[in-house]
Amino acid sequence: MQGGSSGIGYGLKYQARCISDVKADTDYTSFLTGTLSLKEENEVHLLRLSSGGSELICEGLFSHPNEIWDLASCPFDQRIFSTVFSTGEAFGAAIWQIPELYGQLNSPQLERVASLDAHVGKINCVLWWPSGRCDKLISMDEQNIYLWSLDCSNKSAEVLSKDSAGMLHSLSGGAWDPHDVNAVAATGESSVQFWDLRTMKKVNSIERAHVRGVDYNPKREHILITAEDESGIHVWDLRKAKTPVQELPGHTHWTWAVKCNPEYDGLILSAGTDSAVNLWYASASSTNDKPPESPVGSTRQRVNLLLNSYTDYEDSVYGLAWSSREPWVFASLSYDGRVVIESVKPFLPKL
Amino acid sequence: MATTEAAPMDEKAKRMRDLLSSFYTPDPSISTTTSSISTSFDNINGPSFDADQYMDLMIKKSNLDVLLQRHVQMAAEIKNLDTDLQMLVYENYNKFISATDTIKRMKSNIFGMEGNMDQLLHKIMSVQSRSDGVNTSLFEKREHIEKLHRTRNLLRKVQFIYDLPARLQKCIKSEAYGDAVRFYTGAMPILKVYGDSSFKDCRRASEEAIEIIIKNLQTKLFSDSESIQARAEAAVLLKQLDVPIDSLKDKLLEKLEQSLDGLQINPEEASKLAEHNDSSKDEESNNEGPAKIHEDAVRGFSEAMRAYREIFPDSEERLFKLARALTTTHFENMELYIRKRVSAADFLGIFRIIWEDVVLMDEVLPEAALSDLSAEAAQVTLKQFVARTFSHLQQDISDTILKFDINQKEVVDGEVLKVVLEASGKAVLQGTADIFQDFRQLLDENTGIFVKMNDLLIGWIQKGFQDFFRSLESHFLVLSGKTSSSNETEGVTEGKSSEKIHAGLILVLAQLSVVIEQKVIPRIAEEITASFSGGNSQAFIPGELCRVFHAASEKLLQHYIDTRTQKISNVLRKRFKTPNWVKHKEPREVHMYVDMLLQQLEEVGKEVKQILPQGTFRKHKRSDSNGSNTTTSSRSTTLHSDKMARSNSQRARSQLFETHLAKLFKQKVEIFTKVEFTQESVVTTTVKLCLKSLQEYVRLQTFNRSGFQQIQLDIQFLKAPLKETVEDEAAIDFLLDEVIVAASERCLDVTPLEPPILDKLIQAKLAKSKDHNNHNTASS
Repeated sequence: MQGGSSGIGYGLKYQARCISDVKADTDYTSFLTGTLSLKEENEVHLLRLSSGGSELICEGLFSHPNEIWDLASCPFDQRIFSTVFSTGEAFGAAIWQIPELYGQLNSPQLERVASLDAHVGKINCVLWWPSGRCDKLISMDEQNIYLWSLDCSNKSAEVLSKDSAGMLHSLSGGAWDPHDVNAVAATGESSVQFWDLRTMKKVNSIERAHVRGVDYNPKREHILITAEDESGIHVWDLRKAKTPVQELPGHTHWTWAVKCNPEYDGLILSAGTDSAVNLWYASASSTNDKPPESPVGSTRQRVNLLLNSYTDYEDSVYGLAWSSREPWVFASLSYDGRVVIESVKPFLPKL
Repeated sequence: MATTEAAPMDEKAKRMRDLLSSFYTPDPSISTTTSSISTSFDNINGPSFDADQYMDLMIKKSNLDVLLQRHVQMAAEIKNLDTDLQMLVYENYNKFISATDTIKRMKSNIFGMEGNMDQLLHKIMSVQSRSDGVNTSLFEKREHIEKLHRTRNLLRKVQFIYDLPARLQKCIKSEAYGDAVRFYTGAMPILKVYGDSSFKDCRRASEEAIEIIIKNLQTKLFSDSESIQARAEAAVLLKQLDVPIDSLKDKLLEKLEQSLDGLQINPEEASKLAEHNDSSKDEESNNEGPAKIHEDAVRGFSEAMRAYREIFPDSEERLFKLARALTTTHFENMELYIRKRVSAADFLGIFRIIWEDVVLMDEVLPEAALSDLSAEAAQVTLKQFVARTFSHLQQDISDTILKFDINQKEVVDGEVLKVVLEASGKAVLQGTADIFQDFRQLLDENTGIFVKMNDLLIGWIQKGFQDFFRSLESHFLVLSGKTSSSNETEGVTEGKSSEKIHAGLILVLAQLSVVIEQKVIPRIAEEITASFSGGNSQAFIPGELCRVFHAASEKLLQHYIDTRTQKISNVLRKRFKTPNWVKHKEPREVHMYVDMLLQQLEEVGKEVKQILPQGTFRKHKRSDSNGSNTTTSSRSTTLHSDKMARSNSQRARSQLFETHLAKLFKQKVEIFTKVEFTQESVVTTTVKLCLKSLQEYVRLQTFNRSGFQQIQLDIQFLKAPLKETVEDEAAIDFLLDEVIVAASERCLDVTPLEPPILDKLIQAKLAKSKDHNNHNTASS
């Protein structure tokens, strides 16, 4: 059961759900993570992997007013990030800036750049423009999707457009297509839905119940990966969204999150509530010529798809992030507040 | 000296002969040339011999003695020569005298001859003149006679022609068509020349007669009752009469072709045929079955073919084609026939009939290579039969499974699943056994073709089994809805049915896979090795199949648990999505969803009980270690109350720490263990997964005090019934605690319910449900 004890661990004080790669930091491999504690003072940790890759250093520790349900680092400014937080009764979302010279201050405070305060319902996530310097943001609550324009210098954000998914859908999360910046996927109660941001209208949907996590394949257009409660992981080709291209068995309990590797096509990471992180290899080429072959062959193939299972966790793993600077490194965060950085390098030659 | 004596003697004789021959030769130069070579002046026989010189040479060369000797010698030689000469002269003279005598005699003989010759000439002359006279005198008469003779012949011919119609009629009457044709063809040239003028009537009459003859011949040719010989003759005669025989042939063959339809084995009647065939085989007396009729028909057909072959030697190709066509239609019909389900016995019956037909035809037309053709066709058919048999079996099995119209109540109350499992298990076992029996029958069959194909058949059967089990496995998966999307076309058709399948059936399939893995495949492997020990058992790999089904059974079991937990998950999801937990009201009773949860679990329990075996190992342990169970549960409750107390004191931070610490000290409970094929294991796994889901749902919410208390109450209520159903109580305790912990972590104001109130509420719920049950049973 003891899968990889090779990981570098770091303990947060409280429980936590979200971790994000600091994409804009080109000098270090860094991650941002925030705690989820109803009653205590929550913290945002800026973690940096030491240059040797053997240690995880807390580079900054900032107090955050509320428990953090979602956290995303700005893709173009390493000091800016967004959080979705809850006071217990209400949800809110905000853009924060890490103060300069934070290392010299005793208890540095985060600067609130803007509040995304158009929401009334339970906010799920904030999505940044997938790449490059663009001031567009998306925020989602259970029923609505908002497109924001962020002005960092004026410390303001305004709603550009919004659309309602309807009462019944109760959105739970989403992803921004890195290949088509006008497309956004949102997971809902019974389907994955797609918006065109130009018209701010729903254009497409995949009928699939209880999707927890969704991620676009950054290396391959039209490929989307979903994580579902009971039925594992599915790979979809959005051009023929009726049936999945590939199925991965997922986790013993729910599959919570999936992330495609930003560099190695077909490398998928999934986190589950069975306290495990699984590393899969689901190459699109093998899915394309997937013949109706003998069942034995497919099961063998299925077995081979699972490259490794990291099981050294005490609790459900909700947070998962690949490093974009060192794409063979990923950070995982279990509910008990343990950050584990692992390298998938030993499995790369197999690809 | 003696030697010198002998040599001149020889020389002397030679010289003599030369001399004499030169004497007779007209040209002396020839003889001299030969001698002149060897002689010179001293050669006494040479023409240039000079006596003086010779004398001089002699005198000079030799002494007296030699001269004397020479002298004597020469004198003797001269003497000899003289006598020789004399003899020669005498002989010649003799000859001359006799020649003269002969000439004298001849002269006297010839003298009277001329007169005789003249006489002869005269006589011959007179003979000639006389014969000329006779000739001229008889010429006219002879001419006349010749004319008369010619006329007579002509008249005879005319008579013949005039008689021809009558004669032909006579022939028709006596059916002597051969004579008639001979007469007619004999008269034909005349009729052709004079038919338009003098013999008009005659020609017409005879043509009419011939027409009748032709007709008669044709009917004879067509009539099957006539002997082949007669028909062949008729054909020959018709040919002589320049009747276009090809069209006749075509007609006949067409008729033959049409008769093919009658010979076909109708797929609908095939089974009847086969039955009767069997019965007629069993009891020889019963010969009137359709099989017999068919056999006769084919026999007739082959006889006809034999006849035609003899009649029209050039029609072989056509006949080949016909025979081939019959064979192929036989096999095509056979294919149609086996499209429905056919027992091996019936199949064999038909096969035998066809084979007999082929043999019959093959006897007639060995060149048509019918046996090869039918061997090929038979291979195809047999292969299809094997494949079809397997697909039928699969259909049977899936029918047996789906036959039962399962609705919720029946499953829970009755033993439907058990029945389904037993029925389908039986279907598999019995089906494979039957199939095996059938194939045995095929293998035991020893009609020509089967013997050849035995090896092939064994291969097909093995491969058939292998493919069958593989496709059965994938069929199971499709049925269960697990791989509806694996094949898109299949997914469209099967997808709908797979949606409907009851979760219990997935369990049945899982257990069925186990049965197949543990019983069916080994048995078949055994039988295969027992029956085809000689053959190479490459195609059937029981080990691989066992692995396949083992994997399938695990997959299906997992799928069953998945579908079950999914259902429960839906219950839980609704429960947690609907209320606003932050503004929850004080708990008054145990929430409804607990009932639903327990009901679902009960269903699982009942389904599992019908299908899966009990885990004997666990049962034993449980009954044995009752005491230890209570201790663990008490420990967990103390732990639980401990926690409550602490959280009550609002020290949440240390509480988290405590939780971690507690976890460290508590043995890490393996929540997600491998599922075993026992009732307990499946139920436990389901419960574990549900509780884990419950925990996850709780973690996503934020509770006020009342919300937390509601959760606390619900969990407390769940504890007892869950423990009853589950083997791994420690894990359940742990998970239930985890739910409470999660709730307390997500609670703004953790104030647990006082134990008395908790008890009271639970008792109330129990009483109510009891009441409800009583009421239910009373009403029903």
